[in-house]
Amino acid sequence: MPIYLYIDRGTFVHRLHPSVKVFALFVMFWSVYWVDNPWALAPVGLVMLWIVQLTDSWPNFYRLRWLFAILVFTTTIAWMVFYRRGAVLVNVPVFHVSRLSLVFGIGRGIKLAELLAASVLFLSTTKIEEFTYGLQRMRVPYRASFAISLSFRLVPLFIDSAVTIVDAQRLRGYDFSQGGPLERVRRYVPVMIPVFMGALRKANNMAMALEARGFGFSHEPGTFIDYPVTAADAVAFAFLIALGAMSFMLYWTGLGGIGPLK
Amino acid sequence: MKTDAQMFSVTPGPHAVQVEGVTFTYHGAGRPALRAVSFVQAAGETIGVMGASGAGKSTLAKCLNRIIPEFEDGDFRGAISIAGEAIGHLRVCDVAPKVGMVFQDFESQLFSTNVAHEVAFAMEQVGMDRAEMDRRIVPALEAVGLRGFEHRDPTSLSGGEKQRLAIASVLALRPSVIVLDEPTTDLDPEGRAEVFDLIAKLRAQGLSLIVIEHESEELRAADRIIVLREGEIAADGPPAEVFARSELLTACGVRPPGLGHALKLLGIDARADSVEEAYDAIVRAYPRIAAASVGDCADSRAPEHRAIAENAAGGPPFITIEDLSFSYPGGPRVLDSIDLRVEAGDFIAIVGQNGSGKTTLAKQIVGLLKPATGRVTIEGKDRAQMRPAESAREVAYVFQNPDHQIFAATVEDEVAFGPRNFGLDDGEIRRRCDEALEAVGLHGERQSDPFLLSKGERQRLAVASVLVLKPRMLILDEPTTGLDHREQVRMMALVQDLNRAGIAIVIITHTPWLVAQYARRVVLLRKGAKIFDGGVREFFMQDELLHSSSFRAPEITELSRRFGTLALTTGEFAEWVKGRA
Repeated sequence: MPIYLYIDRGTFVHRLHPSVKVFALFVMFWSVYWVDNPWALAPVGLVMLWIVQLTDSWPNFYRLRWLFAILVFTTTIAWMVFYRRGAVLVNVPVFHVSRLSLVFGIGRGIKLAELLAASVLFLSTTKIEEFTYGLQRMRVPYRASFAISLSFRLVPLFIDSAVTIVDAQRLRGYDFSQGGPLERVRRYVPVMIPVFMGALRKANNMAMALEARGFGFSHEPGTFIDYPVTAADAVAFAFLIALGAMSFMLYWTGLGGIGPLK
Repeated sequence: MKTDAQMFSVTPGPHAVQVEGVTFTYHGAGRPALRAVSFVQAAGETIGVMGASGAGKSTLAKCLNRIIPEFEDGDFRGAISIAGEAIGHLRVCDVAPKVGMVFQDFESQLFSTNVAHEVAFAMEQVGMDRAEMDRRIVPALEAVGLRGFEHRDPTSLSGGEKQRLAIASVLALRPSVIVLDEPTTDLDPEGRAEVFDLIAKLRAQGLSLIVIEHESEELRAADRIIVLREGEIAADGPPAEVFARSELLTACGVRPPGLGHALKLLGIDARADSVEEAYDAIVRAYPRIAAASVGDCADSRAPEHRAIAENAAGGPPFITIEDLSFSYPGGPRVLDSIDLRVEAGDFIAIVGQNGSGKTTLAKQIVGLLKPATGRVTIEGKDRAQMRPAESAREVAYVFQNPDHQIFAATVEDEVAFGPRNFGLDDGEIRRRCDEALEAVGLHGERQSDPFLLSKGERQRLAVASVLVLKPRMLILDEPTTGLDHREQVRMMALVQDLNRAGIAIVIITHTPWLVAQYARRVVLLRKGAKIFDGGVREFFMQDELLHSSSFRAPEITELSRRFGTLALTTGEFAEWVKGRA
C-alpha cells in the first residue's frame, strides 16, 4: 500500500506551476477561514469536489474516509455540547440542541473537512520537490522550504510506524478502548513513546544522510526541475484571487456567518 | 573513449583515504569508540571493515565524512585526508563531493518522488548546473542497473533497488571514495546479491570502496579486510590471510567463513576462497574421501529432533491454516491458498523474498489480519472469532524491530506490561518477570533503562516481554537482523532453549546458515504461495528451488554436496570427513 498521497496523473492541475499550487492551498485555507455557515462553505467545497474529480484523487479520499467521517461527526457533536446559544429544539441532558448549535456544529465539521480536503488535494497533485520549488519561488529560504516539504513526507512514515506499534501493544494484551475520553488519551502513552523515540532516531538518520549528500553546501543550490509559467497558471491565479475575494466578501457582508439563520 | 560506467573510475592520486591516529570518545562514554586507528587506502582499493557491534565500524565510517565530530558530541583526535587533502576543517556537506556515503537505513536517505531527481539531489546541493546534471544522471543509473527507472517513485522500488539508487546518487558526484555502512542489513537474499554484484562491478571499475559488513563470505572479494575490536585494529590484511585466523575472528565477534573454519577443523593448512578450492584442499589431504556415497552425512541433531517430535506426538496440530488467501485493500493477493500445520514443539523457518507474504502470514496467525478466504485455527478454535489479545497467551509475536514496543522506564516494567494487561496479581507478575528475564539473560538489567541497552539486548527484551505471557508458540520476525555474529548466536541459543522447553518456534529469516543450523522444517513462500514445506536437508537439496528463490545454501552445505553428502554445519561436515579418512 503506498504511504504517500501523490498520484501521478497528467491533468492540468498537476501541471500547474508549483507556486500556483502553494498559493491555491493558501487560498483554500483563507476561504474556509472566513466563513462559518454551511451554505457559505458550499462554493469552496464544490470547487474542491470538481478538482478531486478532475485530478482523479478519489483513492486518497477513500483511504481517509473514516478520518473525514470522524472529524465531521465528532466536531458537530462537540459543538452541540459546548455551543449554548439559541432556543433549545430538543431537551437532552448535556446536549444543547438548538438550530444555532446544529448549524454551527455542522459548519465547523465541514470547515475542518474542507481544510483536510485542501491538504489532501494539494499532496495528491504536488510532488515534494515541487512543494520545495514553489516555496522557494515565493522567496522562502531553501532550508526552510525543504524542511517544510520534508515534514509532509515524514507524516505517513510516522503513521505507518504508529500502526505497527499499536499492533505490538495489542498483542501484549493492551486494550486501547478502556475508560473515558481522558483515560483513552492516556492509554496511548505506550504508543507515543516508541513513536517519539523512533521519530527522533529517524530525524537524526535523515539529517546525517542529508548533509552527507551535500545539503547546506550552497545557499543557492542548483535545480534539476524547472517549471515555466504558462497561461493556465495565470487563469488559475485569477480564479483563486476571485475565490479568496468572494469568501472575504461573504464574511464582510455577514452572509458567511450563522447570524442570518437565527 | 570512456564508457558510461568507466566515467566513475577516479584516480585521485596514490591514496584515496589516509587515516592517522584517529581516536574518538562519545560524550559521556567511559572509553573511546575508536583508539589510534591508522590506515591508508590506496586508490582503487576495496576495504572490508568487520567487527562486533560497538567495535567502532560505524564510528569510523562517520569520521570519514565528518559526521563525527560535526554531528556527534565527543572528543576527536587525529587526522584524515581524502585524495591527499586534509578534511579536518570542512563541514559534512563540504566533504560530500569527496566521500560518498551509503547508509544502512535506505528509507532515511531517499528524499525525492522520482528516481532521476533522487540522483540529481546531491548535485543540486553542490550547485551544479542543469546540463551537467543531465549528463551525469543516465551514466549513474546505468552503473547501478537502474536505467529505465528514471520516472519511477523510489518508494515503489524493492529494498535492493533502493540501495542501488542510493549508490547511484553518490556516484553522480564522482567522489574519491564510497563508504557503504552495512548496506544490505535490511535486504532479502535477492537484494543482497544485487548490491554485492554492484559492489564487485564498481570495484572492477577501479573505484575506491570501504564496505562495512557482518558476513565474511560477502567480503572475500575485497582487496583487504580490517577487523576492529573495541575501537582498535585487530587485523589488517588480505581476506585469505585474515579469514584464516578463525580464533581471532570469533574473539572479535565475526563469524569465520565456513570453508576456512572447516579446513581448520580438519587440520588442513590451506586457504580457500571458494567451494572448489576447499574441495581440492580436502581431497589432497584426504584422498580416500572423494569416493563417498550420496546422503550419508550423519544428522548431528537427529536424536534431539526425534525426542521433541515424540513429546509432541499424539495431539492435534497446534495451528491449522486451511486455504488461506488475503489481499490488502486495493492490492494484489498477498497470500494465495496457503495450507499449513504447525505442531506443538515445531521449529519452522519461513523463508522467501521480501513481499512474498511471510510477515502477512505471521500476522494472520496472531490475528492482526483476518483472512479474505480460508481460516486459521488454534487447537481447533477459529482464529477469526478471537481478538489478538485473547490469543496472546497462546501465540506470541516478536516484531522485527524491538523499538516498536519498548516504552517503559525500566526493563522490569517493560516485561511486566503484558501480565499487568491480563490482570495477574503482583506476586505472579514478579515470578514471571524473574523467569522471563532469567531465560533471556537480562536478570542483571532489571532496573536499567531499556533505551540504553544494545540492539541485541533490546531484541532479547522484546522476547522476554512476550515470553512472560507463557505462550505455547513464538513467532520471531527476522530476530537476528542488525545483530553481530556473537549476538546472533546468543539470540538463537535462546530460541533453541525455548524450543527445547516445548515452545513451538516459527522464525522468519533471510539467513541461510541460521536455517541450516537451527530449524527443523522450512516453509518457502513465493508471491504469496507456499511452494515448499519440508525438512531442512530436503530443502537444501532442491537446487532449482533455491536458485529460483535467490536463496543460497551455506557454503559448507555446498561443499558437502560437492562430496555427495549433505552437511548443515561445519562441525557436522568435519565429523563426516574424519569418519571417512
